[in-house]
Amino acid sequence: MKISQDAKEKTKIKILRCAVDLMIKKGFKDTSMREIAQNADVSNPTIYNYFATKEQILYSYIEYIHSLSVESLKTIPDFETYTLREQLQSFIEIQLQFYLEDREFIEQIYDMAFESSSVRLDNLYDTNRIFIQTIQEILDIAIEAGEINKPPFLEYVPLLFWDYFVIVVAYWIKDDSKEFENTTQFIDYSMSLIESVLHSNMMQHASNLALFFLKTHFKNSLESLITKKMKFGKKSFTKRRLGDIIHG
Amino acid sequence: MDNTKPIKRGQIAAKAVVKVGLAHSKGFAKRVFGANKEISSKQTHQESAKIIFEALSQLKGISVKVAQQVALAMPFLPQSYLDELSKTFHSLPPINKALMRKIIKQELGDYPENIFNSFDSTAFASASLGQVHKAVIDNEPIAVKVQYPAICSTIAIDMKILSYGLKHFAKGGNIDHLIKEINDRLYEEVDYENEANNVNYFRQHTTNKQIVIPKVYENLSTKKVLTLSFIDGLHFDSFMNTKPSIQTINHYAQLIFDTFFDSLYRCKAIHADPNPSNFLFIKDGKLAMIDFGCIKKVDNLFLQKYNELHLSLIDGEDEEYIIAKYVQLGMIDEGSKEDMAWFYQEVIKPLDSLYIEILINDTYDFGAHGDFTKRGFDAVMKVSQKKTHSIHKVNQEILFIDRTLLGYYAIFEKMGAIINTKKAKEIMRKFKGENNE
Repeated sequence: MKISQDAKEKTKIKILRCAVDLMIKKGFKDTSMREIAQNADVSNPTIYNYFATKEQILYSYIEYIHSLSVESLKTIPDFETYTLREQLQSFIEIQLQFYLEDREFIEQIYDMAFESSSVRLDNLYDTNRIFIQTIQEILDIAIEAGEINKPPFLEYVPLLFWDYFVIVVAYWIKDDSKEFENTTQFIDYSMSLIESVLHSNMMQHASNLALFFLKTHFKNSLESLITKKMKFGKKSFTKRRLGDIIHG
Repeated sequence: MDNTKPIKRGQIAAKAVVKVGLAHSKGFAKRVFGANKEISSKQTHQESAKIIFEALSQLKGISVKVAQQVALAMPFLPQSYLDELSKTFHSLPPINKALMRKIIKQELGDYPENIFNSFDSTAFASASLGQVHKAVIDNEPIAVKVQYPAICSTIAIDMKILSYGLKHFAKGGNIDHLIKEINDRLYEEVDYENEANNVNYFRQHTTNKQIVIPKVYENLSTKKVLTLSFIDGLHFDSFMNTKPSIQTINHYAQLIFDTFFDSLYRCKAIHADPNPSNFLFIKDGKLAMIDFGCIKKVDNLFLQKYNELHLSLIDGEDEEYIIAKYVQLGMIDEGSKEDMAWFYQEVIKPLDSLYIEILINDTYDFGAHGDFTKRGFDAVMKVSQKKTHSIHKVNQEILFIDRTLLGYYAIFEKMGAIINTKKAKEIMRKFKGENNE
């Protein structure tokens, strides 16, 4: 008998929830796959159909919260009247709201990722597909609606925003203020900054500046290589290095 | 034409200063101290008051509330300062939709769409410490006041800076009582639960059908969210812009005036924030009182003494009797007859004669006496120049009552209203009769 996709998803979430609850109680290290299976009412081999490793559970959890957050975002009645900043800020706040229930678990992930490096940051970054897509979508709508101009390297903006989100969570983990009100303020002020950057042409100007430097030095290095007038004095050191890089 | 240009530029520059963003506390301290150095010893207190107020109005965020409290302590400040301050009252950064949802979820346990029938995510009014959203629950329109996050910790920081700045300004003078007073008031106002209790108290005790007090939705109210029934009415400025007739003006002024004495003597509590924006003018001659963040309760023993004093001033009793009443109330230190008389003449009388002036005759025409607040300000400044240590020992209840009355008088002056004082005096004498049995 084939198990439907729906039932599969339900079992997966059930295992996730049980795993997180256990890890909050006993810690990531001291929780075994066998225990998780027991608590989730699945057989020991079955759990491996869903998660190959314990780490896999952790990454799935992050993805799961991302998808919950997107669902929650969709339920905001007048979301289309929100400004770009309000939409992005809502997304961040909703994620944190979900994290709040499992704060001790998130703490463990952060410790493992940043302090003991038992969780690879790359793997953590592989979980952000839904997050990135959502940000991309929000940005696209804002550009189409003429709220902001299309920033250069648009495809990298969501990735930068993910980095920002990681910083927010790190700040929240260390926040000992009442009701995490410092985090609330941190998000509000930093979002203001992000808002001004997105609304101004600052990114365009910055990329123009970067291109100018790149082109000029690239051109000079090329010229100096072609004309073979390479003087290895102190002054042309930078140019030589750039030339070397280009030519390998 | 060209002559107007420099003035315009000046205005723009001034606006730019006002618009300097948040978190300017450090700048504020610098500005106050910088300004202090420039004050020569010959400059009057008026000028230093002006500098304090300019510095305060440059502060943003919660400091605006602090500035408002200082303004409350000195209701006779010239109109231009008050105007400048009131501009800043509503210039706090708005709580955006994302943040507002978070606060509602945090305080009421769920997102607005899951709690209310409808919820307008755009605020319709700004309150002194937050903003107000219109919503509907059980088909009733309601007003949901949401507080800025982290206001308590901001107050603590701002008050530290303010007290440091003001102490520097006071040049060794004792202003601890002022700082404490402002501090206490602010913390009271920050707690919306306290305000909810105040609203309930007034709603329970107000008997005049023409006074409307909103209803508190207890299950939708916390320390940071206050939900009240929505009242549709005009704010003071909008009301005055409708060019109401003198009869209408007198009606409302009288309502405010009589309600003050009624609540003082019957409810033993007053709405102690005489800010015109705390009233809503409703079409059929009704007046709503909103914003109960600042109320003052008084005990009966105090009220008896105050009542005797007040009546003896109105009836023009002899000075010795009046001085004795002031001593009883702790407004004048006991001492030699000459000292007490001097203190009364120089410090107390210039002030009390001001608010008694209104009550002596059966009516008082604020339109005809257009210089009332100006005289008041001059009197306060003159008294504060006397540099007597005793001025700091004022009875807090009297301070609140007088401050509120004087604030109302400033409103009546703006309205150009004629006040009938008969009912107020009746209330006072009735109280005296009941308490002397």
